[in-house]
Amino acid sequence: MMLPALAVLAAISILPFLYIIWMSLNDVTLLGGSGLSSRWVGLGNWAGMFTDPNVWAGWVRMVIYFVATVGLQVILGVAIALLVHEVVWGKNLALSLILIPMFIAPVIVGLLGRFLINPTYGLYSWILEETGIFTGNILGEDVPAFVAVVLMDVWEWTPLITLITLAGLVSVQQQVLEAAKVDGAGYWRRLWHIVLPSISGIVLVALLVRSMDALRYFDIVWQVTGGGPANATKIIPMGLYEVAFRFLQLGYAATIGLVMLAISILIANLFTRMLKQRGLAG
Amino acid sequence: MAEGNGRRSPGGPKTPNRLTRRNFLKAAGTGLAGASLLGIAGCGGGAGTSGASAGDGMWKQFSGMTLAFISENTAPTSAIAANLQPFKDLTGIDVSISQLELTAVQQKVALDFGSRTGQYPIVYADPYNIMVPLRDGLVDLSKFMNDDSLPSVPKGQDDFISTHLDAAGRFEDKLLALPFDCPTLIWCYRKDLFEKYHDRMRKDLGFDPTPSTSVTWEQYYQIAKWFNENADEVPYGTGHQAKQFTSLTDDFANVLWAYGGDFFENGDKVGRLGATDPGPSTLDAPEAIEAATFYKKLVDIAHPGSTSWDWNDLGEAFGAEQVAMAPEWHEFAGAWWVPGGLIGKVGFSLLPTGPARSANHYGGTGIGVNKYASQDEQKAAWLFVVWATSPETQLMGLKSSDGGGTPTRKSVYALQEVKKNMTPPTSIPNALTSSVSLEAWEPQNIGLRPKTPTWNQCDAIIYTELSKMLAGGKSPEEAMRSAKRGVDETTKGGERAV
Repeated sequence: MMLPALAVLAAISILPFLYIIWMSLNDVTLLGGSGLSSRWVGLGNWAGMFTDPNVWAGWVRMVIYFVATVGLQVILGVAIALLVHEVVWGKNLALSLILIPMFIAPVIVGLLGRFLINPTYGLYSWILEETGIFTGNILGEDVPAFVAVVLMDVWEWTPLITLITLAGLVSVQQQVLEAAKVDGAGYWRRLWHIVLPSISGIVLVALLVRSMDALRYFDIVWQVTGGGPANATKIIPMGLYEVAFRFLQLGYAATIGLVMLAISILIANLFTRMLKQRGLAG
Repeated sequence: MAEGNGRRSPGGPKTPNRLTRRNFLKAAGTGLAGASLLGIAGCGGGAGTSGASAGDGMWKQFSGMTLAFISENTAPTSAIAANLQPFKDLTGIDVSISQLELTAVQQKVALDFGSRTGQYPIVYADPYNIMVPLRDGLVDLSKFMNDDSLPSVPKGQDDFISTHLDAAGRFEDKLLALPFDCPTLIWCYRKDLFEKYHDRMRKDLGFDPTPSTSVTWEQYYQIAKWFNENADEVPYGTGHQAKQFTSLTDDFANVLWAYGGDFFENGDKVGRLGATDPGPSTLDAPEAIEAATFYKKLVDIAHPGSTSWDWNDLGEAFGAEQVAMAPEWHEFAGAWWVPGGLIGKVGFSLLPTGPARSANHYGGTGIGVNKYASQDEQKAAWLFVVWATSPETQLMGLKSSDGGGTPTRKSVYALQEVKKNMTPPTSIPNALTSSVSLEAWEPQNIGLRPKTPTWNQCDAIIYTELSKMLAGGKSPEEAMRSAKRGVDETTKGGERAV
């Protein structure tokens, strides 16, 4: 009875996974053009990766990127959801407008961002320069370029957190809030002691979804900076793409990919455990 | 072209001179069918032709077939894509063209060769990103040249500009592609501003600033600085394609060669014919460090956008009157020649001279035939390669209103029609750079990147180190030493360069 399902699972998931493990133990390359060539190197790719300063630097940037994007998205997403939740008139219109960014393909977000901060004709560049806030070239300097790609990701995915949080806010028990209000609890007190604890579970789910996405963030950076300047925005998925499809070193790329997979699983487990502690996961 | 020079379509000039089949025949000066015409041209062409007597049958033998051509999204390919009917009439073959960004082309070709499916019989074989790294997947074209059942190269191989044929076509002892396009970095400048300020600049700077090889790179810097401080029409004197990308290596290479440096010890040979083992890198040589020091000084006073610009951004900025001059791919000339643009205001020259020479980076590409396609598809693909690189089709590209580029054939530049349009007023804006380009392609002026299988990786190491020098505070000496170390490890098979 289970056999067909297992066969499909093996074909689309288990066999490719085993193949990638095999690739990580071989020097697999497309260089030369005479087909896929491979040579057994054992743990050579793994040893190379763990001693590669570029990989470590890529992971450090990835962590900073991860914390900055996911952190900002959660803070802003929850804040916007709380505001929208309070809106009485035009709530649907406000929500529709807020959700627009997440329906745009990331690569288009990257293109839009590039246009807006282009030093020649970019609207944001012009505003920043005219107001004296920033007069340099945003994408030509390391820290501003990093901040720019972080903000583009935040702009696109904050609405997802907002949407999920709004769903959670609907489930907050109104009687409890009313009772607290009657007892003299102010807005901030009710928020801290009633609303936030009530929605923490669903916010965790939102965090889990965004964390998995953030780890394979690629399109916007590729489109906007290509990893530069001075490698400032070269997070690990950029390096993986370059090794696999530009340098055609598929064995080494498989090694990096497997580490990314392991870290994704680790983070997912962490969130699942937190959800379990709140009795929200089985 | 490529990332490797990979420039994107700069958008072409609008001319009414679309080449019809009738024009095609007229241009050849004969009433014979196009097929036999090309064959006869081949017979008279000298070296490299098979000498086969061409006939309609020779061109029609694969009639009804459909071929896929994968190419970078370049202006010359756009011109071909917009005018495939003459090829269809000549051969009965349909060609479907996929135009993608260069890295995507490289990726698809690598996977096609890796799986040996032969999905794309005709391949845009960028020498640095595709032809050399994936060389075993391309057919040595001498196979078709020696086949009497196939048409030969019209006017022979000698009609190709010799540096193009070597750089874009050959790797070591094989001919893997025929030159198709030929973008080259030359000095593009605002002629109107140079004329307006000529006397003032001459007085202030103490030398004649008119762009030519008499101007040195150091003087180029002084001119740029003068524009920064004195001209109102443009905010900055110079602009560069110094984004952390292959454009940065391309732009820097002009200065590197001009200062007497090179990427590898035997740079001329590795650039022109290529080498599987290019030998040790010379990026830490005093000339290379001096070049890097100057390049940093130059970019420091350039338009601040330079460190995030590739060739397209730079082309747009020049067109938007943001800079007075820039080293830019010559194919952008047509894109600036548009109503409301810079018609008649742009001049072209060879790049400035350094202590060693004036070096003008060539970024041309050839088209080749996929070894994993069926035998018939390979032969049909050869027909396309011969047609697309023929003088007639190259002339069509030059005159195209759908992009187009400059020809890779000497005979086209000798045509009166082309000669008279090389200077304004012109009905063929693509031809405006021709006299400068022809000079730039002379062996003593051309700059050729290394053709070696791991160049993609070496390139990434070099532009990353250069970007660290420009935007990350690394000293030129440190950057060049790190680049040399990384390149040497890569060519020995060690460096991963994530």
